[in-house]
Amino acid sequence: MDALMLVLADSRFPAGAHAHSLGLEEAVNQGLTDVPAFAAARLRLVAEADARIAVAARRGDADGAEAEWLARCPSPILRDVGMRLGAQLLRSAAATWPVTPRRTPRPVALGELGAAAGIDDEGVALLALYDDAATVTSAALKLLPLDPAVTTSWLAELAPQMELAARAIAADDRPLADQPAPAAVALELAAPVHHAREERLFAS
Amino acid sequence: MPARALRVGIGGPVGSGKSSLIAALCRDLAADERVGVVTNDIYTTEDARFLRSTGVLPESRISAVQTGGCPHTAIRDDIAANLEAVSELEESAGPLDLVFVESGGDNLTAIFSPALADVQVFVIDVAAGDDIPRKGGPGITRADLLVINKTDLAEFVGSDVGAMVRESEARRDRLPVAATSLRGPEGATRVAAWVRDRLAAFREHGHLHSSAEGAPDHHHDHPHVH
Repeated sequence: MDALMLVLADSRFPAGAHAHSLGLEEAVNQGLTDVPAFAAARLRLVAEADARIAVAARRGDADGAEAEWLARCPSPILRDVGMRLGAQLLRSAAATWPVTPRRTPRPVALGELGAAAGIDDEGVALLALYDDAATVTSAALKLLPLDPAVTTSWLAELAPQMELAARAIAADDRPLADQPAPAAVALELAAPVHHAREERLFAS
Repeated sequence: MPARALRVGIGGPVGSGKSSLIAALCRDLAADERVGVVTNDIYTTEDARFLRSTGVLPESRISAVQTGGCPHTAIRDDIAANLEAVSELEESAGPLDLVFVESGGDNLTAIFSPALADVQVFVIDVAAGDDIPRKGGPGITRADLLVINKTDLAEFVGSDVGAMVRESEARRDRLPVAATSLRGPEGATRVAAWVRDRLAAFREHGHLHSSAEGAPDHHHDHPHVH
C-alpha cells in the first residue's frame, strides 16, 4: 500500500463519481433496503468483472480490454455511464499522471492510470472493487435515512471480500476472454427504468 | 481567437432567478453569438426543460447534468461531469461562442472552480431578504458580477434595493453589481452587456482571469505566455 493508492481511492478524487449510485437509486425506488447486500452483490458480480478488465488494461492491452468490456456490458445506458466515468477519470488524472483523456470505459481508464502511476495488478483490482462499494455506500446516505458512521462500517465489513477477490484476480494470468465474466442482469434491466424517471438524484 | 467557447458560470440560491436570467440572456445574445447551456439540476431536469420550453435556443444546445444531490461539489470540488458536458456540447452542437453553466440552486458559499467557469455571475434576489449581502460568502464577495434580481418585488417584501446594492459594493472592492428586474422593460440588458464585454476580452486575450481566482482580470497591460 502506498500513498498514491490512497490518492486514487479517496472519494474526493475529482472523477465525478459523486453523481452516481451505480444502480442503488433505482433499487431503492423498487424497495431495496439492504444496502450492504447490494454492495456485496455488486462486488461478486459486475465489480469483479470490471476489476478484471482494469487489470487487463493495466497489463497493456487497453483495446482488447475495451472490446471485452463492451461484450460484457450490453446495456447502452450502462455503456454510456461507464464511458463517461472513464473519460472523467482520465481528464482529472491527466493533471498528475501521463495519461491521455478520451472516452473509454472506467475500468479500462483505471487500468491505464494504474500502469501510468506504477500501481500493481492487485492494487488496481482493489481500487476497482473499493471504488465500486464506496460509491454505493456514499450514495446510500442520500437515498435512505442512514448514519454515515454505519455506512462506513459496511465498507469495512466488505474489506476481506475485496482483498480476497483482488488477490485472485491479480493471480489470474489467463487471457481476459478465458476469465470468468460475472454479470447482474437485474442492474441492466433497471438502468433504463432509472434513466427514464423524471425525478432522480443520480446520473446512474 | 480562443479554441473554445467562453464559459460563464451562473450560481446562486434556489429561486433567485438563474434560469430566467439565462433565458433572458440567450434571447438577447443568441442573434449574434452561438450560445449553449449546461444546467445542473438537483432532482429533475426542470431547469433544462424550462429553457427548452422558452424556445430561445435549439434543443441540441441545452444539456443537463445530474449532481448526485451535491450542486456545489459539481461546480467546485469535482467538476469532471460538468467539464465533460461542456466539451460534449461543444463537440455535438459546436462550434459555440459562449456556454452558460447553470449551477443547481445552493447556499451562499457555492462558487465555481476557475477550471470550469472563466467568469461567474452570482444571482440573489430581493425577496430572500435584504440582509443577504451582509451575510456575505464567496459568491457575494468574489463573483465577477453580482446580480440582485427581482427588484420589482422590493416594495412588496419590504426590501431596500439601494441598501442591498451599497452593502454589496462595500464587500466587493469595485467588482460590479447589477440590480435587475427581468420583468421590467430593461430586463437583462445590463447583464447581457457585461457578458458581451467579457466575451470581447476573452477573444482578445484568449483567456480571462476570474475574480474568483483572487486575481481579478486586470485587462492585461502585460503580454503573457501560457
